Order: sequence, then C-alpha cells, then structure tokens
Amino acid sequence: MAVVNRTKLDELLDPAFMNKLDQLALVSRKIFAGKMRGERLTKRRGESVEFADYRSYVVGDDLRFLDWNIYARLDQLFVKLFLQEEDLHVSVLLDISKSMDWGEPGKWLYARRIAAAIAYIGLINFDRVSLYGYANGLRGQIAGVRGRHLMFKLIEFLTDLTCEGVSNLPEAGKQFAIRHPQPGIVLVLSDFFEKASYEEGMRYLLGRNYDLYAVQILSPEEIDPRIVGDLRLTDVEDDDVAEVTVSRALLNRYKQNLQAYCERLREYCTRRGISYLFTSTEVPFDQIVLSYFRRRGLLK
Amino acid sequence: MSFLSPTAIAIAAGLTIPPLVALYFLKLKRSIRPVPSTLLWKRSVEDLQVNSPFQRLRSSLLLLLQLLILIVAAVALGKPMLQTVQTHEGTIIILVDQSASMGVVEADGRSRLATAKEQAKMCVDNMSDDARAMVIAFCDRATVVSSFDTDKRALKRKIDSIEQTQSRSSLTEAVSLAEAYTQNIMIGTEEAGSEIAPESAAPPASVFLFTDGRLEDADRVALQRFDVDRFQMTPIGARSDNVGIVAMDARRNYEQPEVLEVAATVRNFGSEPVRLDAVLYVDGHSVDVQSIQLDAVGAGEIESGSESTEPAVGSVWVVAFDEVEFGGGGVVEVVLRVDDALSADDRAWTIIEAPRHLRVLLVTDGNLFLEDVLSTLPLELVKMTGDQYEKDDDEVLMEGQRSAFDVVIMDRHSTRRLPQGNYFFFGALPRIEGVAAGEMIDNQVIFNWDDTHPILRHVAVETLYVYEWLDLKLPPEAVSLVDGETSPVLAYLTRDASQFLISAFALLTEDEFGNLLMNTYWVTSVDFVVFMQNAVQYLAANVATTGKKSVSPGEPVTLPIPKKVDDVKILRPDGVEDQVPSAGYQTIHYARTRQVGTYRVEPGVPGDDVFAVNLFNTVEGQVEPAPRLTIGADSVETQAGSIEVNQPFWPYLLLAVLALLLVEWVVYNHRIFI
Repeated sequence: MAVVNRTKLDELLDPAFMNKLDQLALVSRKIFAGKMRGERLTKRRGESVEFADYRSYVVGDDLRFLDWNIYARLDQLFVKLFLQEEDLHVSVLLDISKSMDWGEPGKWLYARRIAAAIAYIGLINFDRVSLYGYANGLRGQIAGVRGRHLMFKLIEFLTDLTCEGVSNLPEAGKQFAIRHPQPGIVLVLSDFFEKASYEEGMRYLLGRNYDLYAVQILSPEEIDPRIVGDLRLTDVEDDDVAEVTVSRALLNRYKQNLQAYCERLREYCTRRGISYLFTSTEVPFDQIVLSYFRRRGLLK
Repeated sequence: MSFLSPTAIAIAAGLTIPPLVALYFLKLKRSIRPVPSTLLWKRSVEDLQVNSPFQRLRSSLLLLLQLLILIVAAVALGKPMLQTVQTHEGTIIILVDQSASMGVVEADGRSRLATAKEQAKMCVDNMSDDARAMVIAFCDRATVVSSFDTDKRALKRKIDSIEQTQSRSSLTEAVSLAEAYTQNIMIGTEEAGSEIAPESAAPPASVFLFTDGRLEDADRVALQRFDVDRFQMTPIGARSDNVGIVAMDARRNYEQPEVLEVAATVRNFGSEPVRLDAVLYVDGHSVDVQSIQLDAVGAGEIESGSESTEPAVGSVWVVAFDEVEFGGGGVVEVVLRVDDALSADDRAWTIIEAPRHLRVLLVTDGNLFLEDVLSTLPLELVKMTGDQYEKDDDEVLMEGQRSAFDVVIMDRHSTRRLPQGNYFFFGALPRIEGVAAGEMIDNQVIFNWDDTHPILRHVAVETLYVYEWLDLKLPPEAVSLVDGETSPVLAYLTRDASQFLISAFALLTEDEFGNLLMNTYWVTSVDFVVFMQNAVQYLAANVATTGKKSVSPGEPVTLPIPKKVDDVKILRPDGVEDQVPSAGYQTIHYARTRQVGTYRVEPGVPGDDVFAVNLFNTVEGQVEPAPRLTIGADSVETQAGSIEVNQPFWPYLLLAVLALLLVEWVVYNHRIFI
C-alpha cells in the first residue's frame, strides 16, 4: 500500500521538488483564530513568546504576566500581552468538472499538482489542510488534515478524483461556506469557464472573509485554438453545441474575448482583495509554485 | 450587343443556377469537434454578428456573388459580341470575284483578291453560330469553293484557297449556282440537304458579293429565288490606271506572204493621259517599237458603270507594225511598256503559220464563173465533179480526221461526206442535222444583210439580185448574213469543228432542157470577186495568212493531235505541264486556259501545236471599281468602306468572372455564420 501511495505521490510531486517545498510555508495576509493552538501567531492575545502590548492590571489578571521591571521603575502594575499562536486552515477548492480534463499538457494533472504542493506545504507546517473537489457542488473532500504523515492520504484523495459533471462555482462556494466557517486560506483552482456566474460563487467565499486565491488554469489549446473550417463544437460538460465557421476573424475575436474574460476575472478579484493568478499549462508547474506563489505572498 | 450562341446561355444557366440555390438551402455538413467550453465561442460569434452591420447581407452576399459569377459565365458562353454591325443570320452566300481585274495590286501592296478574301472572312466572322454559309468564286465560270457549312474556320480556310485567274467575270452562273444550292438545303431538320425543301421552306438567303464591280453581265442576271434587297456588294479596290491591248491581229501581206502586218488596239482606261512604248516580238525577238500617246478616258465614260461603251476619241490607238519580215511560223507578241494596275492585258499574242497558198477544192459539174474567179485568187485550186468527190478515197480528201483542203466549195452538190473542214455550198446543202431546204423561192428581193461581217466587207449587197433560191431551214445557232423576205439567203454555221457557209442560191441553174442559165448577174460584177476573196479568206482564216484566233481565258479549246498518240502534254504559260489523254480520238479538249499567254502542245500537229490566250476584254480592262452595281433592273446595296467585324465581348466577361471569383474568395474568408 505504501508503495502504491509512493508511486501516486511521485506522479504528482517528485522527491526533489518536495525537498524544495520543505523550505516553504504558507502565509496568510490575514491572521485567523484557529481551533487549536498551533504554530501561527494570531491577533488573539494568548500565550506565546511574541510580545504584543501592555495594559493596566485589573484584578484577576494572571500575576505571571505582570511586568515587574516596569513596576520597579514606575510603581505601576502593567500586564504584558502576548500574541496567541494558532493553527492555519488551508483549503483547496479544485475544479473537477469535465472541462478540466483537457489540453496538452493537461489542466487536470496541472491543477492536482498545484493542489498537492500547497497541501504538502501546509502539512509540513502543521496547518490544517482541506481538499475539496467541486463540479456542480462539492464532490469529495478531505477536510482538516494535519501533519506530514497524512500526506499520502491527501495524495490518494487527489489521484482518486475523476473529472465529471458541469462546473458550478456558486453551488460549490455556497456549500463550502456552510461547511467551512473557519477563516483561512482558500485556493480555487479552475479554468473559471462558468456558464453560471463565477462571481456569485466568489461572493459566498468572500462572505466568510477567507484569504482567497483564484488560480485560473488554461491549456494552450484554449489560449490559441488551432482549429479551422466548418465545425460543430460540442461542450464536453453539457453537450452544448455551437456551429461555427472558423476563420481568422473568428479566431481573433475568440482571443479578444478570452483576454477580456480573463481581464474581467482579474479585475473582479483585485477589487475584492482576491489574489488572481493566470497560468497556462505550458508554464512549468514548479515555476508556478516556487516563483509565482512566493511573489504573490502565498508562500514564503 | 448580340449573341452568337444564345441557347448556350439558357442551357448553362439552367444547369448550374438551380443546383447552386439548392445547395444554399441544404444545411452545411459540419465536422464535430469537442471543446472544453462553448462559452467563449458563442460569445465571439455573437460579437462578430453584432459588430458587423453587413453580416446578414454577407451570408447572402456569397450566394449573390456566386449567382452573379454563374450568370456572367453563362452569358460568356453565349459568345456575346459588341454589336458594331449586325450579325448575319440564316443562309449566307459569299460570292468572291476572282476575275482578271481582281489581280490589280492596290496602293497597300495587296491584290484586290487578297482584300476581297479578307473581307469575306470578316463576313464569316460576323455570322451567328447557327448561320450557314457557302462560298462561290466566280470568273467566267463559277466554282463552289465551299458548300453550306457552319464551321467558320473551315469556311475561312476555303476562302483562303481561292486563286487568282485572268478570266473575265460573269455573275450569272454564280447566282444560278447559288440559287440551285439554296433550293436543296433544308434548314431546321437534322437531315439537312437530304431532301429537297419546298420552295417556300427555304430561308431567305443573304448574298454578299466581293468584287470590284466590273461584271459583264450583272444587268442580265435574272434572280429566281434571291431577293435583290438581300444582296450586298463590298466594292474592292481604288486604282483606275490601266492601259491594255483590247484586240490584236497579224496578217501576211497579200502580195508578199513573207511580210507580216501586225495591228494591236491599245486602250487607255485611266483618267490620266499615258505615253508608252509598244514592242513587237516575233518568236521571242524584239522586232519593232512604237511610242504612242493615249488621252485620258472621258469622265462620262467612267461614270457609265460596267457597260462597255464607245471609248473617248484619243484614248484608243491602233498600233500598226508594217513591213515585218517573217517567213516562218511562230508566236507574234505585242508588249506594252507601262506600269499600270493590270498586267494581264499589257501583252497579247497571236500565232501565225509559215506562209503557204490556200488549198481549195471546187466540186462542180462545170461553172466557168466560179472557176474564173477562183483562178484569179492566190490559191492552189483542185477541181473535181460531184461523183468524183463521192467516190474518191479518204486519202485523197482527208488528212486524219480533217479535210485535206483548207476550203471545199460545193457547187450545186449536196453531200453527207463532210470530214472536219471549211465548206462553202452554192445552191446545195450539207447533209447535217438541222439543215434542210424547202421549195424554191423566186421573185423575192434581198431584204436585209449584215455588212459588218468580214465576209460582206466591201461588198455591195444591194446590187445582188437572184432569180430563185432554196427556202433554207437552219438550226438556231446559224448566223444569217443575207436575208430574203421569208428565209435566209446566205448563212454561216459552225458544227463539230467544221464551218459551213451556205448560199441558198446557185450561180447557175438548169432549165427543163438541161441548158445552164445564169441565176444572178452578180457573178459578173467585181463585188462577186471581193465576196469570194472574203469568203475563202474567212473560212480559211487562222490557216496561214492571218494570225490564228486566240481564245479568252477560261474558254475551252479543241486541238488536233497526231495519230497514235495516247496523251499529250500541254505546257502552260506559268511553266506547269498538264497531261491530257486523247482517249483514242485525234482531237483533245482543253479547258485550263485561265492564264493569258501561249500554250504549247507536245506532240502537236504542226500549225496547231501552239495556241494563244488573250484577255481582250474592255470590262476587265476598266479596272476602276464600279461605284454601284445593278442586278437586273435593281441597284444593289453597297457596303460603305470595309466590313467591320463584331468584336467578341466574352473575353471581358471571363475577366469579370475572374474578378468576381476573387471577390467571392475574399468574402468567403471573412464570412461567419452559425
């Protein structure tokens, strides 16, 4: 069993790359209150070595936190406040609709690799990691996993996922928000080709004040289609049909529309404090994790 | 604009346009291709449709363009022509003059015939595709160059094959031939020409005549089936300067047979006075030269059209070469040293035999008057009675098929024994078909006579009184020289290379007792001597003392040939040899005489081994094109200037098709529709 898991792991993350990931840790732009004490400082005052502030002593305060040096100099009682260290919730919402199983190199493997890398980084830093697949609603999850030893479980979850169904981010976002009230980092990996509005789905997520990351993954065939002639295009998700006569003018118009679509998504995300990242599967996946995510502040 | 093949448009449009429209009604079969999402594709198509104001039009623009291409291509198939002249429809007859005057080389360096052929080919180009044309070339005879054909290339090739001749021109035969051919065609049936169409079924034929208008017999042409309104003449040529020999004769001096007298009538047909030299050649050696000055032809004469009229005084000159010593036989030629339009009439030939006395046979049972008169003439006289004539061997009377004598005079002796020769009957008849005599006529007066005939030259016929003569019954071709009140008195007849001069009266008659009585006192007058001289000379003409009669170009000749010769060669003036088989006869008939000059026969009978062909035609010589032509009594429409050709328009349409295809290609590459 361990051998099998090892192979599945290698498929998504090879050991050399994992070594590089060992140096990294997830960073949230927001400091959240966790369920358990963890390795992360929170805004909550608590028991840690990180000094936060002083306040006047009131009766009942723990005398262990009185700053005796101040009392000696000023003859007043002040209590030292320390930052609370708590664990971080890292959730990955992975689009498993049928449109993700597309392209060469494929979007599906690309997205799972990113999910595996983020999950691995989260686990090795004792963060609470959750993985959700979504299509028309959430489908399959592994929630609240903590500790490096559970990496294989995550990998198995990822490899067992299959692409099926129609992408419906509003439904998935709604379900996620209900199930996942704790704040934390939420990474949405999708092509964002939503016939239902992706904005509604993002609104559900924004409502929980998550630290949101939207990663749009497209294949080269979607960015620069190489098709021509009189075609009957069928949507792999919902079998919707479009009859087109592909000409240069149409291809140009498609590219313009794609650019405008991505730009609108980026603008939407930027305005709402969501980190947006666009990538093609032609860009090496390790470059995304090691370079782009660090630049965006997700990893340090 | 006109169409040479209008039916092709309907066929091409009917075959292509409905399928094209049907194709547009059929839904395009598209190949199926899965994509991750149709979201952006649909949006792109909608954008294009929204952003393009002509999108709706563009989808149908392709159909419109393709329809336009098909229509233009179909119209091009109809062979449209830019209508500068009307297209010739139906049945077309093209008559091309190939007579001598068409050989005139015009200022552009081309002969009139070449121009006529070019114009005729343009006429063919103007034919519609379903029109049919026949080509007839004519000079003295008409030749069908091409029977009815719709193939323009073949017609033009046939027109190119028309050759120049030096014959006179005659329109009658050409028109008759054309009429005969149009009667036998049947338009509109697949078995064209296989049945004789009823007269009313024959389509009206258009006749295009390419000539310089110098046609001898145009006013005598009687149209049977053609309408003169459908005649159109294209006048060819412009030059008018020509000097030609219109007559020529050579004669031996009566006293001195070795001395020749040659006379040639030279006529100026041009509008400018001409000075030129006339050179006499005898057997190829120049013998004499004379300079002559000819006045211009009168203005009224030119305007008079094709009619041969009396020439203006001064424009005709008879060149006489006297005292030419030539004791042998050979070719006498007169050449005009002049550079004029027509060269065929600048030379003339005549053949003269070596001098010898005429051999005359007098068959009579006794006629002192006749014997006396004949004995005074310079001839070799042989006498025999009628019985002797009938009984003598052929060897005495004949040489080959012909008579051994130049002239045979029959005095009151009718006979059937008439080998080819020249006969003069007094009071008797040749027993040949069509010649008969009725009762004797007496107490009638001489009523009329032809004093222009050479036989009656210088003869005072008015002094002739005859007691009685035979009531002659002669065939229609006989020429009456002296007429009584009811029947001819003296008549001339030719039959089968023989000449007959028949006098209805005898010089002597017998009464019931057998006594000889004078039938006329004319025998005692000097006129009778002149008459006999003329008659013998005329009958024996071409024999020795005068040049032989030449033939006109194209006229067939009958020539004696030696015995036991299977075929003879005839050497034409252009150097070509013709083989003519004798087929066992001692005469041959030869008709390829379309060039002027001398023709030599090898082997030939001495004296008949050369013959000359001369133009001697005042109509052909008058080379100035006739401004108008009259057929019968009606004037023929004349084409002004040269024929214009309808320019084909279809190449431009094909270019338009190419341009439209280009536009269609551009539109196709920008078109979008769902």
